[in-house]
Parts: sequence; structure tokens; C-alpha cells
Amino acid sequence: MELSEYVQRGCQMLADPGCFDLAAFALVLRAAFRSLLEARADEAVLDHPDLKHIDPLVLKHSHAALATCILEAGKQKADKSTLSTCLEDCKFDRERIELFCTEYQKNKNSLEILLGSIGRCPLLITDVSWRLEYQIKTNQLHKLYRPSYLVTLNVENEDSRSHPDISFNCTMEQLQDLVGKLKDAAKSLERAAQM
Amino acid sequence: MEEADRILIHSLRHAGSAIPEDVQSLRAFTAELAVAAVVGCLQVLRPSLSSSLSAHLPPGMSARFRLGMSLAQACSDLGYPRELGYQSFLYPSEPDLRQLLLFLAERLPPDPAQESAQPSVGESAILLRAIGARVRELLTEPWLPTALKPPKYQDCVLLKPFHVQPFMFPKANTPEGASEVQEFQGGPLVPPVPAQIPCQAIRAASFLEEHAAQLQELPEGDAPGDTDKAGRRHLAPRLVEQLRQNWGQATSSTSGARGPGRELSELLCTWVPGSGEPRGKGSRFTHAEKFTFAQEEKMAHAPPLAPAEHPSPLSPLSPTHLEQEVQAGQEAELASLQGRLELVGHSIKEAGATMKRLTLSTGQIEAEAHQDWLSTTEREQARRLKRRAVDLLPDAPSNLAKLQVVVEASAQRVIHLTGQWERHRVPLLAEYRALKKRRDQRELESLHRAAELQALQECVRVAAGEARRKEGLYKQLVAELETLPGDMARSAYTHRILEIVGSIRKQKEEITKILSDTKLLQKEINALSGKLDRTFAVTDELVFKDAKKDDSVRKAYKYLAALHENCSQLIQTIEDTGTILREVRDLEEQIETETGKKTLSNLDQILEDYKAVRQENAGLLGRVHEA
Repeated sequence: MELSEYVQRGCQMLADPGCFDLAAFALVLRAAFRSLLEARADEAVLDHPDLKHIDPLVLKHSHAALATCILEAGKQKADKSTLSTCLEDCKFDRERIELFCTEYQKNKNSLEILLGSIGRCPLLITDVSWRLEYQIKTNQLHKLYRPSYLVTLNVENEDSRSHPDISFNCTMEQLQDLVGKLKDAAKSLERAAQM
Repeated sequence: MEEADRILIHSLRHAGSAIPEDVQSLRAFTAELAVAAVVGCLQVLRPSLSSSLSAHLPPGMSARFRLGMSLAQACSDLGYPRELGYQSFLYPSEPDLRQLLLFLAERLPPDPAQESAQPSVGESAILLRAIGARVRELLTEPWLPTALKPPKYQDCVLLKPFHVQPFMFPKANTPEGASEVQEFQGGPLVPPVPAQIPCQAIRAASFLEEHAAQLQELPEGDAPGDTDKAGRRHLAPRLVEQLRQNWGQATSSTSGARGPGRELSELLCTWVPGSGEPRGKGSRFTHAEKFTFAQEEKMAHAPPLAPAEHPSPLSPLSPTHLEQEVQAGQEAELASLQGRLELVGHSIKEAGATMKRLTLSTGQIEAEAHQDWLSTTEREQARRLKRRAVDLLPDAPSNLAKLQVVVEASAQRVIHLTGQWERHRVPLLAEYRALKKRRDQRELESLHRAAELQALQECVRVAAGEARRKEGLYKQLVAELETLPGDMARSAYTHRILEIVGSIRKQKEEITKILSDTKLLQKEINALSGKLDRTFAVTDELVFKDAKKDDSVRKAYKYLAALHENCSQLIQTIEDTGTILREVRDLEEQIETETGKKTLSNLDQILEDYKAVRQENAGLLGRVHEA
């Protein structure tokens, strides 16, 4: 796990017991996790009375460096050994490493969810609704007597702006064909599992 | 037979027929089991045919008959050579059934666990197997509706796009001594970094992007092939040189009253001549500086937006016209300041131009001075020589003679010295050549050794690669071995097979021995019968010749004929006994096989079923008449 110079300097400042004692370090750590994982950005996250004696520039630098470190660790899904080697390189002592690892473990799930939710994806189908229809006659042709299905696929996009739900009409045979093909798709995964 | 039956039943079970566990030989196969086995095989071999066939015997007799006929039809379609009928399934006899099932089992496709046609080694196989294992794991999880599942990163949720916003990273302990930026960054106007972006996803994305950019900016070239960094490395010493030169001139020409920030910006001005704004390496710094200064100016004039920390000089309740006056005053000041800024800019440009001119002229003058100094020294030399000559002029002839003597003496000395030099030079040259040759030799040797070392290293590398590959192969095979089904011990099979092969070999030897014995016997018989015929013919002739004259000889001849006749009859009867014994043995074998077919019990069964069919027919007829 590579860390840039800026992050390493920030972490070295954090590791210095003269600059940050253990309680302050724990506060900054928790503040970093909170500020990353909370949906609303909190400007007062570093306004704790115990942190007032530290130079605000140093505080902000180390807070930013810590947040970057956490995100990198989450991105690479680092396990405990990688994390501890990386933090030892930044001259952290054992207690601080332990603290970091426990906090990281606690928040691992939400961090992974956050990182996993960034990206692009095609349309997602969330639901299907259907209706039966029986045509008795149209304007152009009387005595039709034909059943068919009206199917609606509920679709979600990230801002649901340009893709309304997809509706379509199909006859019985077409629906059976469609269902058969989808069943094939579902079975193909089982066949792939046999490999 | 038992073993063969067990293997057959195992393969039938594998094909999908439901044969209960305790059935181990074909003797125990009832009609039900036979039908189930055959239908199972047909389902694998011809799925289209067997979709209409059920694996269970229907209760009605006519339905059973129909099922039997269709099964027989299907099997003969597959190419079974013997004739089949419904009786082979409904009233199965062991040897026929065994042959049929063997035929079907041969046709079955091989075990899918062994049917791995893909390359069993290689990284693609490992990846495919890992994929298969993971998919199997996921398929065994129970299904939950999406809303009830706890959120995990694997779920295919709606993704937010990767947008990035730039934000300000405060830097502590930077070597540049610009404290205004640091004050600003540490101050209350710059919130802690994650709070600068309100949206959570954009926050995380921006952090990752910024970190990646920071990693790319490392000053020691971690990516040695990066031409950007190589260019910068070229640029750096040049920049340092330029800055040093300009710094010297700038400090000499400006007063020291301004702060270091101003000087740096002036330096950058002079370094890029003709541009009013500083550009290049100091961009972020100077922009921040400009921002700082602008901010400070703005703070001095505008009502501040920061809450409660800087009390505004104007009360918020002042009336509007006062605000307008203040705004007009601000605008005027702004205009004047801008004018002053332009003037200052102009003066800076002029000063730059003047300095350039002066530098140029200084250079020229220095060059001329140097030239003059050189010519002066030359003339000085010439003057001294002429002065000496003039001094020697009064006493001309004796001085001339003295000079000539001196010249001769120096010529002699020169010759002497050249002789000495030659004497020194020759051995030194020889030594030099010898050393050079030795050096070349040593270089050649070291080249050889280096080549050998490289070859050895290649070998080592190849061997290591081989070892790694073999280890990977070994691990794969071990994993494969674990996944294989282990219900049939292969060693038992191989043991049996080897035993059978050995016994067959022994039997073959015995058979060949018997055959050779038989051949020998037959040859003896042929020889003896030949001898017999010949002796008989000879004696016959002999006796016949004498028989015409003598009566006793005629009687002896009759006896001889009768003896020959009887002996040949005896031999004939012996041969007949032998054939009859053989036929008896064959017939006994046939009797055994026929009794194995249980034909009698089957016939009884058939009679009963026939009666049942007749009853059913009568019942159906009755119902038809009623309806």
C-alpha cells in the first residue's frame, strides 16, 4: 500500500507523541472515520476541547492524511498485517496501530459499502409487474378474442432522469420463450459452478 | 461376475437411474429395476425419446406392455444387435439383461468429473476453478428478498458516478517560509478537509483522486521512465542557476525594505521577461499569495461573512444610503489601487529592460578589456627582447662570438639530452606494452567468467521456474484429487484388474500347452494310421500273392482282412465316444444357461399376465358397451 509524501508527513506528525498524545490521537482517528462515513459534512468535527492545544494547521494536515490513509486501506481491502506494516513505516507505535486497526475493523463494512457504491452501472431492474389483457376487437378488426400480457419493468437509474419504466406487450408463446431463455441464463450459472 | 455387476450398477447409478443401495448383482434385478435402469440410460443417451417414458412400471398390464415395446424399440434404435421385445424388460433373464445393460453402459458418455477437456494446468484453469468455487458458494446461500438483506458491498446497488471536486489540502511544516498561506490554511475559513465537500460519494472519490495525483508527483523518480520527471530533473539545476544570478542582481538593485514574498515574485518576473504576472513553478504559492492579499484587502473593506469571529466595523442596522456611500468609496479605492498596480507593473518592465541593456554592455566591455590585456602582454615581451639586443649592441663582435659559443654549447646539450631521453624511453615503452598486453588478457578472462556466470544464472532461473511450475502443478493435482469422488477405491480396481490379467495369462499358457499337446497327439495318430495303412497294404499284397497257391495262406489273408476291419471299427467307436462325450458336455452347459433364464417361472408369470390382460379387455369392452 503506497502512501504519498503528504500523507506520510501527516502520519508522522500523528505518530509523534509530543504533538499528539494518545487521547488526542484517538479523537482525531474517530473524527476521520466519522467525517468520511457520515453523509452530511460536519465542519465542527475537529472542534473538541482536547484538541484545542494543537496547532490547527498540523491538526488539519494530519486529519486529511489520516482520511486518505483510511480510504486507501479500504480501497485495497488491507488486512491487519498490511496495515500494521504500513503504519510502522510511518513510525507509529504499537498502541496507536492497535487503535487504528480496531477502529478500521469496526467501520470496515460501511467503508466498503461507501467505496463500492462509486462507479457507473447500467440500468437496474428492481421489479416486474404484469397484467393480462384480452382483446375482443379493435377498430379495424372485430371478433379478435386474443389474450396477451402487458409487462412493466421498473427500472432504476442513479438520478432516474431519462429512463422511465419499460413497458411492453407480448403473446403467450413469446412470454414462454422469454421465461425459458431466462431460466437458461439462471441455469448457466450452475453449470459454470461445475467447472 | 460380481465385480463386473457392481461396476455396471455403479455406472448405471451414476447415469441417474434410481437403483437402491443394496442391489449388488444382476440376479436381484426385478422387472421394476430393469425398467428403471434402462430408462435412466435412455434419458442420458436420447433425452428426446425418453421424455415420454416413465421410470416406473405402470400398474395396468396393457400399459406395461406398451412401455416394454417402446423401450425395446428405443434400444434397437440405438443399435442393439440382438432382438428385443417387451419380454426382455417385463420378464428379464439374467444373461440377456446383462448384455443389454452392458451395451447401454458402453454408450453412456464418460463420467463428467473426468471429462475435463480443458487444460488442467495453467493460470486460466486456476482462475476458472476459483470462479467455480465462488459461484458454488454463492449458489448455496438461501434466497432473501432484496429489501431484507443487510447491506453488503457485493450487492448490485445503484452506483453513484465518480465525480471529483478539488479541495484545499493544508500543508504543515513546509520548507518555504511563507507564513501567510499557513495562517490562512490553519484559520477558520478553511474547514477540515473532508468537510469541504458535502456529498459523501464525491468526498471519497476526491480523496482517492488527490492521493493518486500526489503519488505521481514524487520528486525522486519512482517511475524512471517518466519523461515528465526527467524533463523536470533537467530543469531543476538550470532554474537554480537562473534564480541565483537574478537574486544577486535583484538584491543589488532593490531596497531591502520589502518582504521576501515580494522579492520572489519580482525574481520570477525577471526570469520570464516581458510578462507582467509570475508564472511557472511558484504558481500555487503565488496564487495563494494573491488570494491571501486579495482576501485581506476584501476583509478590510467588505462586511465579513465569517460568523461572529471578526466583528464587522459596520453595524447591520445602518440605513441603505450609507451602504451605498461605502460601496462607492470602495469602488474608487479599488480603481486607484488598480491604477497604481499598473504603474508599478510598467516600472517593473522598464527596470527589467534597463538591466538587460546594462548586462549586455558590461559583457562587451569585459571582452574588450580582455583582448587589450592580451595584446599588451605580447608587446611587453617584444619590447624586452629588443631592449636586451640594444644593450648588447656596443660591444658587437666579442658579444657575437660569445653568443655563438653559447649557441653551440646549447646545441650540444640538446643532442646529449636527446640521447639520454632515448635511453630512458625504450625500456619504458617496452614495459608499457607488456602491461597493456597483460591488461587485455585479464579483460578477456573476466569477460569469459562473466559469460559463464550469466549462463549459470540462466540455468538457475530456468530451474527455479521449473520447480515453481511443478509445485503449482502438484498443488493443483492435490486439490483435484480432493474434489474427486472417492466412493470407489481405485486401488481395489487396479488390483483386481492385475489379478485378472495374470490369471488370463496363465489360462492362455495352459491353453497353448493343451493345444500343442493336441497337435502332437494328432500328429502321432496321423503317423500311426499312415504306418498302419502302409503295413496293411504291404502285408495285403504279400499274403495275396501267396494266397493264390496256398489254402492256409488264403485263410490267414481272410483273418488279416477281418482283423483290419474290426480294428478300424474299434477306432471308429472310440472316436464316436469322444465326440459324444463332447456333445454331452455342450448340452450340459446349455442346460445350465437355460435354467438360469428362469423360463418356467417366466412362462407362469406370462400366463397370469395374459389372464389379467384379458380381464382388462373384457372390463373395457363392458364399459364401452355401457357408454
